[in-house]
Amino acid sequence: MKKIIFGFVALVLVNTVLAAKEVIVDQKNKTFIPHSVTLEVGDYLVFKNSDDFAHNAYTDDEANEFDIGMQPPGVDKKVKMKAPGKFDVECAIHPNMLLEVTVE
Amino acid sequence: MLVKIGLSSLLIASVLFATSAKDEDMSKWLRPSTVPQPKNNKLTKERIELGRYLYFDERLSKSGKISCATCHHPHRGWTDLKPVAKAVGHAGRVGPRNSPTILNAAYQKHQFWDGRAKSLEEQALGPIEADVEMNMPLDALEKKIKSIKGYRELFAKAYPGEKITAKTIAKAIASFERTVVSTESPFDKYIKGDKTALTTQQKRGWKLFKGKGHCTDCHDNFNFTDGSFHNIGLHDGELKGKELGRYNVKPRKAWYGVFKTPTLRDVAKSYPYFHDGSVKTLTEATAICGNGGRFDRNVKNKSTYMKDRHLTKQEITDIVAFMEALSGPDVDVKIPTKFPQ
Repeated sequence: MKKIIFGFVALVLVNTVLAAKEVIVDQKNKTFIPHSVTLEVGDYLVFKNSDDFAHNAYTDDEANEFDIGMQPPGVDKKVKMKAPGKFDVECAIHPNMLLEVTVE
Repeated sequence: MLVKIGLSSLLIASVLFATSAKDEDMSKWLRPSTVPQPKNNKLTKERIELGRYLYFDERLSKSGKISCATCHHPHRGWTDLKPVAKAVGHAGRVGPRNSPTILNAAYQKHQFWDGRAKSLEEQALGPIEADVEMNMPLDALEKKIKSIKGYRELFAKAYPGEKITAKTIAKAIASFERTVVSTESPFDKYIKGDKTALTTQQKRGWKLFKGKGHCTDCHDNFNFTDGSFHNIGLHDGELKGKELGRYNVKPRKAWYGVFKTPTLRDVAKSYPYFHDGSVKTLTEATAICGNGGRFDRNVKNKSTYMKDRHLTKQEITDIVAFMEALSGPDVDVKIPTKFPQ
């Protein structure tokens, strides 16, 4: 019986991981591309940097707060979405960059 | 509602420009025809006039000897031409940073070197309250301004239905500051199609500015700033005991030792340079920025823009000559000799 339960839990976990999707946002010409994204809780936001200088991405949204720190060119950074909500993401180096995120 | 600054001349310029620079879109270098204004503080003649009096009025300080213009004077490049506000603040105190120019501050999304204020209205009260500057508690400020009949009348005209508070005082000062914008420089004439407006050396400098020097990585668009924050490597290693810049606003890793990119408009008038006022000349400032910062290695969180561009002395001189072409005639402002009583 225990084996069945473990098997079931493992299956659920695998399905959860498989179900989580990655949404890619590129940072190019000091712009987030695309400028707005919609994800679900558990999904990952993947930041790329196609410029030849450093970027950053952060939000002060209470439920999804993150700060990827300095992101050198060519390096990807991944952030998991924790809770539903709408919030803005900015680049700490280039404050004119703005990304609108909706987590459902 | 937007303020119009020679819209017709700008349109003509745009047409001329479109035919004179086919290969490159230069429109981003044109001075805008409008000044951004918040919905709750649209510009009016009355608000600008009130703000002008407040800006130059030393009674806004606790000592009665310091005004906004003490550190941001129109005859001194809208700064005080000192490295830091030495012996200018209350009781001769010294502020920690160079007084930035307020020219074109109206176009900036973040105010102060560390960007801690998001509007001119928010910025205006900071120096009034700061103990190293005007040292005036805001409740005392309100009381003093309310006690002056002339100001009561001017506020009634400028902000009918609104009380005299620190907020309305800030709104009036911000209104005046929105009139402190660039006048037409030789560079503006050049961009509009007058190819004789720049000297041969300045044209070489312009080419270097956009090209080999990579100056536009940070000093971009008409106001010659990207509105961003960078650590340009003025100090090596950890910044113990030194200025942490925007990191003091919130300790984000990317904000360690970063400061706002200043405008280069009228930059020849607003020496010395950098947030600590440690550099006296444009030549030295250009050499530092163009050759990877004062310290090339071991700078924590140094901007990736700061690389050695291997500029020669002649190239630095050419870039400086170009930056001198970014100065226009002084903004036409009448400094009050008499104040509301």
